[in-house]
Amino acid sequence: MVIRTLLITGLLLTLAVSAGVRFSLLLALGLLIGFSLERFGFGFAGPWRRLIRERNAQGFVAQLVAIGLTAVAIQPIIAFAPGTLIGAIAPVSLTMVAAAFVFGLSMQMILGCGSGTLVNAGSGNAIALTALPLFCIGSFLGTLLVPFAIEATPHIPISLTESFGVGGGVTVTLFGLVGVGFLASWYSAGSLWNKKLLIAGVILSALAILHVLVAGQPWGVVYGLGLWVAKAAQGLGWDAASAQFWIHPINAQALQSSILTDTTSLTSLGLIGGAALAAWRDSSDQPFKQPIAAWYFAVAALFGLLLGISSRLAFGCNVGALFSGIASGSLHGWLWLIAGFAGSIVGVKWRDQLWRRASEGLS
Amino acid sequence: MSRRSGIVMALVFAFSVVGLDWSLGVAPDPYRSPDPMAYGSKSGASGAICTFAPGAEQ
Repeated sequence: MVIRTLLITGLLLTLAVSAGVRFSLLLALGLLIGFSLERFGFGFAGPWRRLIRERNAQGFVAQLVAIGLTAVAIQPIIAFAPGTLIGAIAPVSLTMVAAAFVFGLSMQMILGCGSGTLVNAGSGNAIALTALPLFCIGSFLGTLLVPFAIEATPHIPISLTESFGVGGGVTVTLFGLVGVGFLASWYSAGSLWNKKLLIAGVILSALAILHVLVAGQPWGVVYGLGLWVAKAAQGLGWDAASAQFWIHPINAQALQSSILTDTTSLTSLGLIGGAALAAWRDSSDQPFKQPIAAWYFAVAALFGLLLGISSRLAFGCNVGALFSGIASGSLHGWLWLIAGFAGSIVGVKWRDQLWRRASEGLS
Repeated sequence: MSRRSGIVMALVFAFSVVGLDWSLGVAPDPYRSPDPMAYGSKSGASGAICTFAPGAEQ
């Protein structure tokens, strides 16, 4: 434990000196988020699966609490610091909704969402490790497709804070979350409250608020993954000037800079590291490979790719769009929730069927 | 093989991403680093964010 603490402290100090204190703080936040998610068993795909299959809404309610607490803090903070802090406001569109549906389906197929795939990979899960590289490639492919999607259908960003003012935006967000909570409680077959998950939700909310204060923007996951592949593709001779997404000044700047100065890259790397730290102690007693047929890993790779593509077309995953989008007062976060959940219902059914076939005679 | 092997693979992946980027000649420049916190400073968000939508009506 002492050695691990010294290593992490050394890593953060090295980053602070070589890149800047802000980037060191962002990596630290990523590590804390990854550690908390793994240690408390807090996630997004799993709780949705338990709600759909077992009518257990405890994890889902903890998510709503985390989003609500974050919204109460970040909507006013962002509104009162215009030009410095920005929210996760993205457009709503047909392609965005369709992509959120595909994401919801895909995250059930690999039992890992945007943050979940990174955390699961960090904790040594073989399926997540298979899906992660394809998730990154998919995210890059998604950046190439986004301009076509935007040209094909109207894309309209709607900010609740801009529409109703700060107080109105927060109120509408909280009413929406309470309404969804009531729906979940109506469907739920047991208690709504789980102390451990609620504590995890409060911790996640605190870390998400700190993320806004440090980075100036809400927590996200997928942007960094696409950036890594774009940089690798550029190294292999790909011309970034041929892609509309990557010639935008913000993205062109990100391509020219170190990933150690990119917000989502740092927190995503931190998620992997934090989950690794949390899972390290008990990992030597657990088997690496799950008792399933090898072909399911090809399925995981395919849905990892779809996870990446769909998250870009949906302007974020369960973190950037659902968590940070709703917390920022973006209407697209709400549509993401509905479409993603619908996709999850299909995904849970498909996953159960395929998993059964993949594990027949092997367990 | 234990799950710890998977953790090692994930960490190798993470460090490879940083190493590859560094080997492509993109090292961070500490002299151009922003303020430690965006809140209360003039150096705000980078804007490189998951919800970024180029060309969409803002």
